[in-house]
Amino acid sequence: MTLETEVQSLRQVPMFRDIDPARLKLLAFTSERVTFANGQRFFTQGDVGDAAYVILDGAADVLLETAHGQLKVAEFGRNALIGEMAVLAETPRSATIMAVGDVVALRIDKRVFIELLAQFPQMAIAVMREIATRLERTNARLASRN
Amino acid sequence: MERNLFRYVWRLSRRDQLIIFAVVLASLPFYYWSLDLPKRIVNEAIQGGAFRSGLPTTDFLKLGVELPSYLGGGYVSIHDGYKVGQIGLLFGLSSLFLFFVLVNGAFKYWINVAKGALGERMLRRLRFDLFAIVLRFTPETQKTVKSSETATMIKDEVEPIGGFIGDAFSQPLLLGSQAITAMTFIMLQNVWLGLIAGGIVAIQFTVIPRMRRVQLRLGKQRQILSRRLAGKVSEVVDDLEAVHDNDATAYERADVSERLYTLFDLRFRIYKWKFMVKFLNNLLAQITPFFFYAVGGYFALKGTLDIGQLVAVIAAYRDLPPPLKELIDWDQQRLDVQIKYEQVVQQFSPDRLLSEETLAPLPPGVEPPRLQGPVALTDLHITDSHGMVLVEHLSFTRDLPMRIALVAQDSAAPGAVARVLARRITEYRGAVTFGDVELSRMPEHLTGRRIAYAGPEPVLFAGSLRENLVYGLRHRQRDAPELTGVRRMEALRTEAAMDATGEGWLDLELAGVDDATALDERLTDVLELVGLRESLLKLGMWGLVDPERYPRLAEKVVEARKIVRQRLEEQGLSNLIEPFDFELYNNQATVAENLLFGVPVHADFMGEALAENRLATRVLDAEDVLDSLINMGAGIAATMNEIFRDLPPGHPLFEQFSFIDADDIADFDDIVARWKSRGITGLSPDERARLLALTLDYIEPKHRLGLLNDDLRQALVRARKRLHAALDESAYVGAVEFYDPDRLTAAAPLRNNLAFGRMSHSMADALPRITAQTTELIDELGLRLDVERVGLDYQIGPAGRLLSAEHRVAVYIARGLIKNPDMLILDGVFSAFGENHARAMLTAISERMAGRSIVAVLHGEALADPGVFDMLVRFEGVHPVVVRDQHGASAAG
Repeated sequence: MTLETEVQSLRQVPMFRDIDPARLKLLAFTSERVTFANGQRFFTQGDVGDAAYVILDGAADVLLETAHGQLKVAEFGRNALIGEMAVLAETPRSATIMAVGDVVALRIDKRVFIELLAQFPQMAIAVMREIATRLERTNARLASRN
Repeated sequence: MERNLFRYVWRLSRRDQLIIFAVVLASLPFYYWSLDLPKRIVNEAIQGGAFRSGLPTTDFLKLGVELPSYLGGGYVSIHDGYKVGQIGLLFGLSSLFLFFVLVNGAFKYWINVAKGALGERMLRRLRFDLFAIVLRFTPETQKTVKSSETATMIKDEVEPIGGFIGDAFSQPLLLGSQAITAMTFIMLQNVWLGLIAGGIVAIQFTVIPRMRRVQLRLGKQRQILSRRLAGKVSEVVDDLEAVHDNDATAYERADVSERLYTLFDLRFRIYKWKFMVKFLNNLLAQITPFFFYAVGGYFALKGTLDIGQLVAVIAAYRDLPPPLKELIDWDQQRLDVQIKYEQVVQQFSPDRLLSEETLAPLPPGVEPPRLQGPVALTDLHITDSHGMVLVEHLSFTRDLPMRIALVAQDSAAPGAVARVLARRITEYRGAVTFGDVELSRMPEHLTGRRIAYAGPEPVLFAGSLRENLVYGLRHRQRDAPELTGVRRMEALRTEAAMDATGEGWLDLELAGVDDATALDERLTDVLELVGLRESLLKLGMWGLVDPERYPRLAEKVVEARKIVRQRLEEQGLSNLIEPFDFELYNNQATVAENLLFGVPVHADFMGEALAENRLATRVLDAEDVLDSLINMGAGIAATMNEIFRDLPPGHPLFEQFSFIDADDIADFDDIVARWKSRGITGLSPDERARLLALTLDYIEPKHRLGLLNDDLRQALVRARKRLHAALDESAYVGAVEFYDPDRLTAAAPLRNNLAFGRMSHSMADALPRITAQTTELIDELGLRLDVERVGLDYQIGPAGRLLSAEHRVAVYIARGLIKNPDMLILDGVFSAFGENHARAMLTAISERMAGRSIVAVLHGEALADPGVFDMLVRFEGVHPVVVRDQHGASAAG
C-alpha cells in the first residue's frame, strides 16, 4: 500500500471528498500509517485528543465506559474518520475506540491537521460543511423525536 | 595593574630582556664583519689589492693584537695565519663571508626564539593577570561589565601586546645598532654618501611617525568599535528568542549593518593612510640608491672612492632601510600597543575588587571551618544600583540553625536580603555578622563551602549535567597532583597557577561520600529530591555509553538486548522492532543506515556527506544500483515538489516533513525538469549527489512512496558487505562503527543499543511500549544507577539551554544541596514549579537539611509550612513585618 492508495481511501471520507488530490496527498504524507492489533485501543475515553484516524483496512468498535463496564455503541469500518471532533474542539475523547482484528489506519496528527486547515481554506470549508451537515442532521433527529 | 606597558614589561621580564640585550650586542661585531668582507673580497682578492706589492702570497687569518704604547707597544700574535695565493685568498675570504652569514643567521634565530618565548610568556602572564582580576570583580562591578567584551579583550586585544613585548626593548636596540653600524660603515667609506643617507633617514624619522599618529588614532577607534560589535553580536545570539518574540530581526539587521558600515569606513580610511605612508616610505628608500649611484659613481670616477668601497656602501645601504623601516614600525607598534594596553588596563581597573584575602585558598591540612552563629543583621540598608531603597532598618539576631521564610508582594526586599546573605550584594549599609565575623570579611573557602545559594536565574555552564552539579565541590584536594616538568617551570616563570587540573578537584568529603561512584549515587538522590530523577533516566537512555567508564553497563547491554528481543517475541510483539541483521535489509531504517549497517563516526559518512563519499558511491556503482538510487532521489524530489508546492517556505509542515529545504525547492524543480528530459546524464555530479542524498534518507514504511523493491534491497545488502570490506582496507577504517549483536555500539544511544534494531513506523504506539519494556528491564537487571550515570554525562548546552527552564532551576538547587551547606538560601526558586511540586520539594529539602539553616524567598505565604520554617517575615514595601516566630527570640524592626 502506498501513498496513492491512501489518497484513494481519503477520498472516500465524506469530509475530504471535495478536496484537491494534491492536498490529500499532503495530508496522507504528513500522516502516519499505523497498524493496531486486535483489541488494541486507538484511544481511551477521557484522553486528550492528539490525533484523528482514518481506517484504511479492518474495523473498530466504539465503546462507552460506563459504571457497568464497557458498552459497545457502534462500529466503524473502512474509510471511516475517527476522533476528529476531539481534535477540532479540543475536548477529551468521548468514547474508546478498539480494534477488531488487525486494523490499518492513517493517523493524522492534531497539530498537522490544524496547520493544514489554517493553510488551505478549501480544506477548512470542507470540514465546516461536514460538521454543519452533522449538526443539521442532529437537529432534524431531535426535532423528529420531540 | 601597572598603567605603563613598558614599566610592566620591564618589571616582570628584566632578566630575559637583559640576556637578549647581551646577545644582541655580541652579534654586532659579526654583523659588521659581514658588511666589511665584501669590500675585502673585491679589493684584495678579485682586484688583487693584497698582491700589489708583487708578493705571490699573502697572510690569511692572521690574528694578533697591536699593544698600545703604555703596555710597551709591539705586536702579540695569536695565530700566524696561512700563506695563500690570489685564488686561495678569494675562496678563503668568500668562505669566511659564508661563515659570518651563518653566524649572523644563528644569532638571528636565537634572538627571535628568545623574543618569541619572552613575548608568549608575558602574554600568558598578562592574560592570567587579567583573568585573576575578573575573578575578583565584585557582584556590582560584574553587572556593569559586558562579558563578551571582556572575553575579546583577554583573548584578542592583548594578543598584539604579547607579540610586541618580546620586541619592546630588544628590537630598538638591535635595529638601532644595526642601523648605526651600517651608517657608521657608510660614513667611514665616504662622508658625503654617509651624509646623504643620514639626511634621508632624518626625513623618514620625522615625517612618517607623524603621519602614523593619525593612523593610530583611527586604529584606536576601530578597536573600540570592533569590541562593541563583538558585544552586540553575542548579545543578539544570547537573546535570539527575544529578537524573534518581538519581530526585531529587521531592527537588529539594520543596527549591525550600520555598525559594519562605520567599521568599514574606518578601516578603509586606515588603509588609505597606511598605503600613503608606505608609498612615501618606499619613495624615500629608493631615492637613496639614486644618490649613491650618481654621487658615489662620480666619486669613483674621480678616484676619491674605489669600486670596492662603492660596492660595499651600496651593499651596506641595502641593509640600512629594513632596520630603519622596522624601527619606524616598532615605534608605531609601541604607540599602538601602549594605547591598547592602557585601554585594557582601564577596563580592568574597576573601583572595587574583592580583596585577595577573601579569595585565599584554605591552607593545606586545615579543617574547613563551619558557619558560626548567631547571625546578626544590624540596621541593614540595601539600595539597588539606581539608589532605590530596597530594605531599610532591618535588624535581627538569630541562632543557627535558622529556618526563615521571606515573602513579599511587589517588593524586591526579600530577594535583596537573600542575596546579601549569599554575598551577591556586597554594597549595603549596616552590618551582617556570623558569630563575630562580618560577612564581607569571611573568606570564600568558608562561604563557598558552607553557604549555598540558588536563585531564579540559574547559573549553569556548558558541560555535562554532572559537571554542573559538582561545581560546588571543585576544591583542591590534598592528594591533587601538582604541575611537573616543563609545565611547572613555565608556571613558575610566569607566576601562574601551580595546580594541575583534572584529578583531585572533587571535594568528596564535603559531599559526604568516598568515591566517584558513590558521588554519582548521591547526585541521583539529590536529583530525585528536586524531581529530576525520571528525566535523568530518560537522558541516560538517550546517552552514549563509554565502555571504558561503564564496563559493566556496556557488557550488560548485550545481555539486555537479547532479553528485550525474547520478551517481545513472547508477547507476540516482535514486530515492534525490526532487528538489525547483517544479511537482511532493515525496512524501518534509512537507506543510508542499511548501506552502512552501523553508526557513522567520521563526518564524511554522516548525512549528506555520504552521498558525496567516493567510497560509498563506488560500492553502489559496483552493485549497479547507483543510477537506480539517483533516479529514486529524483522521484522523491518530484513528489516533494508536487506535495509541498503550495505551502509557503518556512511553513512548519515543510520543515518537519519535506525531504527538501524550502530554500532548495526551486533548485530541485530545475534538477527534476532536467532529469525528466535528459535522464541522469543531464545532471552534474553535484546534482546527482543531491538526489542521492534524498534517497539515503528514505524509509519505505514511513514515507510510503513505493520506491523500494526487493532487487534494490538485496543489492543494498550486497553493497553493505562490499562497503564493510572496502572500509576495512581504506584509510577510513573505523569511520563507521558497525552493528554487532554481541557488542555495544558505543556511537549509538543506549536505547538504540537495547533495541538493537529500528522501531516499527507502522505499529501503533510502538515507542511507549518499547520504552516501558526497556525501562522495566533496566530495573530488573539492576542497571538503573548505571543508566542514570550515563544520564549525568548529558551535555546541557551553553548556560544549560538544552534543559527546560524548570529543570535548570532544579539543577541549580541540586548543586547547592550536593555540598551539604550549613545554610541553604533559596531565592524565589519555587516560582518555577507548580504549587504541589514546590511543596513536596521544600519538605524533602527540609528533611535533608535537618539541623541546618534554610533561608527561602517564597512567592506566597501558603508555601511557608510551619513544619519547615520557624519564622516567617513579610516585607511591606521596604519594611519587614514578622508574621510568625516560633522561637520569639528576637525582633525585627
